[in-house]
Amino acid sequence: MKHPSKSPGRLLLAGLVATLPLGGMAAAQEITIVREVDSNNYDPQKSVARAAAEGLFMMGDTLVSLEPDMQTVSDGLAHKWDVSEDGRTYTFHLKDGVTFCDGKEMTAEDVVYSIKRWVDPETKSPVAWRAGDVKDVVALDDKTVEYQLEEPFSELLYQLTQSFGTIVDKDNVEALGEDFGISGFNGTGPYCWESWTPRDKLVMTRHEGYDWGPSFYDNDGAPHMAKITWQVVPEENTRTVALLTGQSQVTQYIPAIAIDQMNQAPSVEVQRSDEAFWTYFMGFKINKESVSDPVARAAMNLAVNQEALAEDLMFGKVEPAYSYVSQGALDWNEDLDDDLLRYDPERAKKMLDEAGWKVGEDGVREKDGIKLQPTAYVFAGSTWQKVSEFVQAELLKVGIDLEIQAFDATVAWGKLATQEFDVFGMSFPYVSSGDALNLYFRSENMPTPNRMNWDDEETDMLLDKGKTALDDETRADAYGEVLKKVHEAAVWLPLYHEPMFITHTAEMEPVVPHNNYGAGLYKGLDLKFKE
Amino acid sequence: MTIPADIENTPPRRQAWWRALMRDPSAAVSMIVLALFVLGAVLAPLIAPHDPFEGTRSVMQPPVWAERGDWTYILGTDGQGRDILSRLLYGTRLTLLIGLLSVGIGGFIGSFLGLLSAFYPRLSPFVMRFADVMLSFPAILLGLALVAIFGPGALPVIIALSIATVPDSARIARSIALSVMQQEYIEAGRAIGLSDTAVFTRYLVRNSISAIMIFMSLRFGQIILIGAALSFLGLGARPPAAELGMMASQGRDFILFAPHIAFIPSLTIFIIVLAANITGDALRDVLDPRMRS
Amino acid sequence: MIDTAVRRLLQSIPVLIGVLILGFLLIQLSPGDPARVFAGAMAPPEVVEQIREQMGLDRPMLVQFWAYLERVLQGDLGRSFISNKTVASELGAAIVPTLELMFACLVWSIPLGIAMGTLGAVWRGSFLDRAIMAFSVAGVSLPIFFICLLLIQLLGVKWQLFPFIGRGGPLWTLEGLRHIALPALSLGLIFIGPVARMTRSSVLEVLKLDHVRTARSKGLKERRVIIKHALRNALLPVITLVGLQAGYLLGGAVVTETIFSYPGIGRLSVGAILSADYPLAQGCILVLALAFIIINMIVDMLYALLDPRVQGK
Repeated sequence: MKHPSKSPGRLLLAGLVATLPLGGMAAAQEITIVREVDSNNYDPQKSVARAAAEGLFMMGDTLVSLEPDMQTVSDGLAHKWDVSEDGRTYTFHLKDGVTFCDGKEMTAEDVVYSIKRWVDPETKSPVAWRAGDVKDVVALDDKTVEYQLEEPFSELLYQLTQSFGTIVDKDNVEALGEDFGISGFNGTGPYCWESWTPRDKLVMTRHEGYDWGPSFYDNDGAPHMAKITWQVVPEENTRTVALLTGQSQVTQYIPAIAIDQMNQAPSVEVQRSDEAFWTYFMGFKINKESVSDPVARAAMNLAVNQEALAEDLMFGKVEPAYSYVSQGALDWNEDLDDDLLRYDPERAKKMLDEAGWKVGEDGVREKDGIKLQPTAYVFAGSTWQKVSEFVQAELLKVGIDLEIQAFDATVAWGKLATQEFDVFGMSFPYVSSGDALNLYFRSENMPTPNRMNWDDEETDMLLDKGKTALDDETRADAYGEVLKKVHEAAVWLPLYHEPMFITHTAEMEPVVPHNNYGAGLYKGLDLKFKE
Repeated sequence: MTIPADIENTPPRRQAWWRALMRDPSAAVSMIVLALFVLGAVLAPLIAPHDPFEGTRSVMQPPVWAERGDWTYILGTDGQGRDILSRLLYGTRLTLLIGLLSVGIGGFIGSFLGLLSAFYPRLSPFVMRFADVMLSFPAILLGLALVAIFGPGALPVIIALSIATVPDSARIARSIALSVMQQEYIEAGRAIGLSDTAVFTRYLVRNSISAIMIFMSLRFGQIILIGAALSFLGLGARPPAAELGMMASQGRDFILFAPHIAFIPSLTIFIIVLAANITGDALRDVLDPRMRS
Repeated sequence: MIDTAVRRLLQSIPVLIGVLILGFLLIQLSPGDPARVFAGAMAPPEVVEQIREQMGLDRPMLVQFWAYLERVLQGDLGRSFISNKTVASELGAAIVPTLELMFACLVWSIPLGIAMGTLGAVWRGSFLDRAIMAFSVAGVSLPIFFICLLLIQLLGVKWQLFPFIGRGGPLWTLEGLRHIALPALSLGLIFIGPVARMTRSSVLEVLKLDHVRTARSKGLKERRVIIKHALRNALLPVITLVGLQAGYLLGGAVVTETIFSYPGIGRLSVGAILSADYPLAQGCILVLALAFIIINMIVDMLYALLDPRVQGK
């Protein structure tokens, strides 16, 4: 692994080591968390941004929670739940004494309201499908909720741990109307909404009297922190020095380049979790001319050196990806391991030559009047800039000319819902193969998130089979089939799997990284200064 | 009559300029530096040691004078292993091109308007109001707005910077033209029956143009800075093109570990603009004292 | 002086309308689809069409512009597409930090620049003079982002004297001051140069003028001569300079606010335009144009105040 330049960087950091951090926040139990982007709003059922999830996990609660191992479902607002034999009815038993930030008691009615709002077509929630095929949700009594599905949903509990299932306060929603999640949010979470300046900072304060947190947290009472400020800092370098200078106390958004140095600096500590699945890839719109040939797509896979990408651009801090989901994810099809497309540019060139893609005078291949000159839409920002430039350079070596257009996050989502592009860059979190496949490969999810326009009846059928499976084997088989299909068709170019790194100052107790939807700090109940 | 002869001769002052300029050491040095950069930019494809767009695996190599640096990459490599010296040459090319085109186009249009409004005083208030409206738009916001329409790239930046140069050029051209028009030979030209167009082109333009160009040279440095700022914000040339502001911006992520990636292009911008400003100042001083308003 | 103000105001109205038109046009010409942005990424096409109708985007441009004009005159600037907060509230929140930044930048760079320029003029040709002039030219030639980055590295990271992220609070609080220090320093460094040069040349010219000689002949001490007469008349061009430089200052503020994550209007505008947040972008452009007009008005009035000859017009 290449080491970055020794002298200037290390000298600088050595100098920093001896200095005291800025901002004497240890006295007050207040911390600042820096992050790269803000959400567009904090309405749990309407925003798909990770930034929203980060805020909502702390300001609200879900029925069930996910443990750091990303496999075990733990308690949340429900302390117990039963599943019927046919997998269609879930009964949740709620904890006692749960209140909203304004003091009002939370009851089963609030749960019913929240779930119904989630799936109500009026809400136009982009993630309504995650709630399953809801038949009805009924409050059997103040503390018991019956969740009825038309069909079994093998992933329901995992999906209910997501921030989309946050239980909201009906009065609050009705009072704020359009401004719900924008000018206020009344939740049951460990922290309460104080203020939000879009694109700048989100401030929350301790929810006094909170004691219904998930049991896997050591802290079973109110959070240690009195105030948390989520500060938006788009510059990765600035985030790094924010931690080194104590302007921020904890964050997961330290760039790969700085991780080594952070590991060595005594004023900060780094925690790593490999159970975190966050995969970066580029997808192809398979019905667009320049990428409709599966041979060309496979060749593009072979042309890119994911290992070099991981080593050089990401400083060895990520895992090169040859599969669409991490090979450690639930229900990954191990039979595919040997057939995955790895770095082999010579084979790529050969395949392209044999398929009739001739190299033109300008170095770009063409066939039947079609040039291999796809347009890629990616997010603006340093990560995708260097990744897409790298891919562009690799593809050029085999005669493919990738054009890159970058868009700012807020407008990118709209652009990515169109049919204007041929290739797109994306990264996403998932709890299992099924989670990922259902998100991207259902025909009903075209044009987005199924931006590849993958329209295959058999896939839909298999996904349904996995979704409604009542045992692990059936489910794994069904999903395994889908994985095989999509990998063979080379609909994606996987790039890398990113583990979760949480960096925090030495004055804080070690933080256990979570990865639910990529929100490393999850509910923030373990954020604590050392005594 | 000797007047036509006087009109035909260039003012004797012009030949004295060069000599006066060369006597000022800082101006002379600046002009040489500028010339070197222009030369480097023009000859970039011939003298660049490496392909400026090709990434390698030797990322973040320091420059040759630092420990671990070597002569393969004289100024080191950037975050993608691309040779900084080569990118610098190509980047200077693009930066200078953007600057020259912007000042050229904007200056031309603005000067034309300014000269016109001096020549036809009735036009004056309209032209000046129009200039005011444009002045209300700071160049950088104009650039942002144009990028919003056309997407990032060198072209919207050039358009924005040209538009931003128009009002200033108009004002300067107008005031220069006004003072030139006080010269007797304008009246003389009219007296011998030359048409308005002829007087305009042969006398007004010819006598104003050098002074206008000198003020343009002062603007050149500022335009380059604004262009670099737009590129820095990500609104200029698109990757994989090399442009100095964009290179500085890309280098931000590595400041703690390889500061040369951001600092070398920034320093280059600084040197170019400094040289342009010193040269422009010296040229204007030579015209002094009358043109100093 | 009131005369000047009223005249300026009337002259500004066509300018303002021009800016409104320009701002409206620029954003209308943008290829993005506001209805799509507003509806969200996942909305089906029918919903997008509904929203397009609701927003009146299917009506002819003139009708839209008229509607826009009406709304603006009533003070309704719409809602941001992205944050859904009213544009007015977003602008209101962002104006104050930028004003503070401008103030903090000018409050030290103008006096210092004037002092430097005067010193240079008084000791003309000396080493001090040439150093000051060199410093000025250098200041004007440095890219603003370079200065910001250097200051962050030195004062923020290495010596840890000041924070460099965000705003710490209003200007009169300690945290507010600490957070504004580096941005104000960066912006001011660019401004000193022109001020010093302008002061120097103005002072030099005035030193030659008759009435200064007259004052000398009255036997006042030389220092007082300089300060009283030369400075006062040298002040005029400096004030005009502030007005002229306001544009560059704002450009610098955009970059500065971005690098320091400072929540001002510069950063807001960039974000709004980049994210095709049309109502917010239009609001920003409007506010900025207004700001320029006001600045120019103030400059004109100060000019009239300080130069008795102008008042007589």
